Amino acid sequence: MVDIDISWIADTFGSITPVLPMVLVIIGALLMPGIHLLLKRKNVTCAVSLAFVVVAAVFNVLLLLGHYTGTYYGLFTYDAFSGLMILLFQAVAFIAILIAGPSSETTRLHVGAFYSLMLIATAGMSFVATASDLLLIFVGVEMVSIPSYAMVAMKKKDPRASEAAVKYIIIGGLSSGLTIYGISMLFGLTGTTNIADIAAALATQGYTAGLVIALATMIAGYGFKIAAAPFHMWAPDVYEGAATPVSLFLATGSKKMGLVVYVKVFFVMFVTIQAAQPFMTESIQYVFAILAAITMTVGNILAIVQGNVKRMLAYSSIAQAGYMLMALAILSDWALTGAIYYMFAHVFMKGGAFVVVAALITAGVGETLKDYRGLAKRAPLLSAIMLLCVFSLAGIPPLAGFTAKFFLFSSAIIPGLGEPVSSQWIWLAFVAILNSAISLYYYAKIVKAMYIEKGESEEKVKVPVAFTVAAVLCVLGVIALGVYPEPFLYYCSQAALAIMP
Amino acid sequence: MFDEIFAEIPILILLLVIPLVGAVATLFMGGERQKYAKYVAGAFSGVTLVLAILLMFVDNTALLSENYLWIDAANIRISFILEMDGLSLLMVLLTALLVFLVVVFSASESDRPNYFHTLIMAMELGLMGVYLSADYFLFYIMWEVTLIPMYFMISWYGGPRRHYAAIKFFIYTHIASLVMLIGIFAVVFEAAAVNPGVIADFSFAAVNAASGSFGEVFQVLVFGLLFFGFAVKMPAVPFHTWLPDAHVEAPTGGSVLLAGVMLKMGSYGIIRVALNALPDGAIWWAEIILVVALISIVYGAYACIAQTDLKKMVAYSSINHMGMVMLGIAASLLYVKYAASPDASIAQIGIMFAVFQMFAHGLVTAVLFMVCGYTGHALGTREIPLLGGLAGKLPAYATFMMVGFMASLGLPGLVGFWGEFGVIFSFYVAAEAMGMIWLIVFCLLSIMLNAGFYIWAMQRTLFGRETTKIDLSHVHDVSKAEGFALAVLCVIIALFGIWPDFALGYIETFVANFAIPGV
Repeated sequence: MVDIDISWIADTFGSITPVLPMVLVIIGALLMPGIHLLLKRKNVTCAVSLAFVVVAAVFNVLLLLGHYTGTYYGLFTYDAFSGLMILLFQAVAFIAILIAGPSSETTRLHVGAFYSLMLIATAGMSFVATASDLLLIFVGVEMVSIPSYAMVAMKKKDPRASEAAVKYIIIGGLSSGLTIYGISMLFGLTGTTNIADIAAALATQGYTAGLVIALATMIAGYGFKIAAAPFHMWAPDVYEGAATPVSLFLATGSKKMGLVVYVKVFFVMFVTIQAAQPFMTESIQYVFAILAAITMTVGNILAIVQGNVKRMLAYSSIAQAGYMLMALAILSDWALTGAIYYMFAHVFMKGGAFVVVAALITAGVGETLKDYRGLAKRAPLLSAIMLLCVFSLAGIPPLAGFTAKFFLFSSAIIPGLGEPVSSQWIWLAFVAILNSAISLYYYAKIVKAMYIEKGESEEKVKVPVAFTVAAVLCVLGVIALGVYPEPFLYYCSQAALAIMP
Repeated sequence: MFDEIFAEIPILILLLVIPLVGAVATLFMGGERQKYAKYVAGAFSGVTLVLAILLMFVDNTALLSENYLWIDAANIRISFILEMDGLSLLMVLLTALLVFLVVVFSASESDRPNYFHTLIMAMELGLMGVYLSADYFLFYIMWEVTLIPMYFMISWYGGPRRHYAAIKFFIYTHIASLVMLIGIFAVVFEAAAVNPGVIADFSFAAVNAASGSFGEVFQVLVFGLLFFGFAVKMPAVPFHTWLPDAHVEAPTGGSVLLAGVMLKMGSYGIIRVALNALPDGAIWWAEIILVVALISIVYGAYACIAQTDLKKMVAYSSINHMGMVMLGIAASLLYVKYAASPDASIAQIGIMFAVFQMFAHGLVTAVLFMVCGYTGHALGTREIPLLGGLAGKLPAYATFMMVGFMASLGLPGLVGFWGEFGVIFSFYVAAEAMGMIWLIVFCLLSIMLNAGFYIWAMQRTLFGRETTKIDLSHVHDVSKAEGFALAVLCVIIALFGIWPDFALGYIETFVANFAIPGV
């Protein structure tokens, strides 16, 4: 593909090059309260934090295009996978910050702190994507979780937000506890926290009770982050209660971080020991397959009865996580490629939907299906964007959601590059396709409300331009990933190959 | 002479691009400009029609093909392949013709006409795509592209129960498409699996090349998936329940395109995809296809008699006529399965006339739905018991209705006759090979019922004493635009009725290259 010379970056930044995208965002996070204190202009603070994300993203894209790989003292590894994931988190942060500026829901008091928290969380996600050690990953996850609790709680006047924040902290604490317990068990069994070394140690050990407990607690602990059923109960409350830009950040970013952890820990571990421990690997594959099937089914079925669009989108996010979990069950490079592709498609389609929701709340329209009636006449552009995003989520071609589902579901039939068709996971593909059919029903309810039902008000909806820009960017992503997947698919497969041993 | 020109320009791509540009252009014609949307749509659909007609004069033994690589991943190859043979040509011609005439017929549409025409043009894009694509991925995308405009067409411009009908149509056919998608996955990946080292290529050609190595059980199972997907679209009893609702609520333009060309996607899919990719599966399923076809024929015709709504009656007659298409396909398969030494040229007859019946039904049903549409908006009701004696007051309307009804019931000299005649002939041959000639009784029953309900309906609406149940004092005969669209169709119906070979010539070149399963 594209080949560009990036040696000047490595020459300038030396050993910190692998963590450069993360460091830039951290610098931004540290400066943000000061900048707000000096300038006291909400929009300027927003713009400066956006600038930091953009600069970090530019460097990250350059590193990605230059096929850079490097490690920072063995702690952080930058490769095609972590680079692509950092790009995803930066895209999420960009959209969230862009709409947080004009949104009426975000805090008016602690503006500097808000953007600082968001940047710290973004850096934390990059931290997780590059880390190659269980403890570092744990620290990275906490670096995302703690700012997230604060961001949810910052919508002070809404009692739902306080409830959501308390719920989120309690569940988050439980999940951290479970995870660190599992990590300590694993450390006791293998004597290391480095994932590659753990895998090497497990290849010679069989199943023990300790290992079962360690894996179960870690799967559950990070399962809360992904909101995989049955660890999903907090997600709808939190997404509904939080300010919509924060919900967007959690649903598209934080959830992906959980998936990245699953990939970095379990995918890597079991792909490595697949040959040495076939029984152990296969049993874990089935655990993930059942987890995926339950998650997508629960998410889709519960979404049907929701009347609040934000809540409906929250349940739909749960279902979408179920699709992406399929990669861990199938455990092949092609499945991982499909899942990575899906993650990006999900950022754009779910991001676009949340941007529209945020815009409509700011414009005073509301967030229930009832409020959306007749919206097509009042806000034609936003309605069209919402239409494309939800049709993409339902997997209707030629949008990103379809293409992504196509790649991911096909991996359930033909697992790996050049491998024969396998009948092992075809049932999972059936469950996933059936779920796509169910999901169309509630997505169609949103479209029906906007385009077909008549609303009480005929007044045009006016939204700040930043919302329109963010929504258009998302929808361009949805169309581009849907119609011309080839170049992007290449980077996804490079990322997947970087993960394979 | 056109061959050289077409060698230079990518005409098949143009058949997709022109409707797309038309859809986008009309989409942005809001406000004051929306009354000009019909001219823009007319121009774009007219150009498409001209291109489609020009294609008829290409040396028809040659296969037009345009091939662009789309996605070339490590283990999946998806191409943007458009191919045109005799079957595609007839369907493309039908699509272009009906879309143009629908635009003309709907000239008086005053409720948001720009979006109406956007939907029509978007549908044309999807339909052209389905009939031209030679890659499973593209085929599926185009298949779904036709769905969304039709959903909005029904739910924006439809009758009183339009929301229910639109959502029922959307979900019913979308689920069928997903089942078809599973079938597509299966054939593509099985094609990759039987040839180790070959990547999964989504083109029709790659799958057809490998179809000889598919296992028997696999073929039977996957044919079931594909057949379900296509049969819902056709629609075949018992998967037909979305059709009457969708038709009754859809606006006239939507109904014409739905019955005229969208139903053909189902039978087109069976012939183009299922028979080619899974020949053994098709042979195994032959009896089931026959039973479904016979039930559709008899049930469709029988249900027509019970209808009091003119449009609902026509909708049910579509089930009957599409059943005839399926019967033609079943006849070919059964002849091959049961004849002692099957002759390829006889086996082709069923498929050949099934295709002709698709073409004929598209033309005839367009007339019928236009007539029903006129009845609904001019007289305010389509209830047959409320009508009567309209021939005196509305002579042009009565003429078009009679031509449509006569063509639909299979009067010799009109296009409908040849389709039914050929299909029943091929079925007779197959029934003879099976040793069950008595099965032909169902066809005779269908012919009788068809003649019965059409003539009865005509008698009650057009002849007898002029109705007093509705106010006819302000009713005018069909407008110039409506009359033009109907007259063009009636002329074509008569033309192909007298000279069916004009269409059969294209079908012959298609079936000559078509591998009938088992021969």
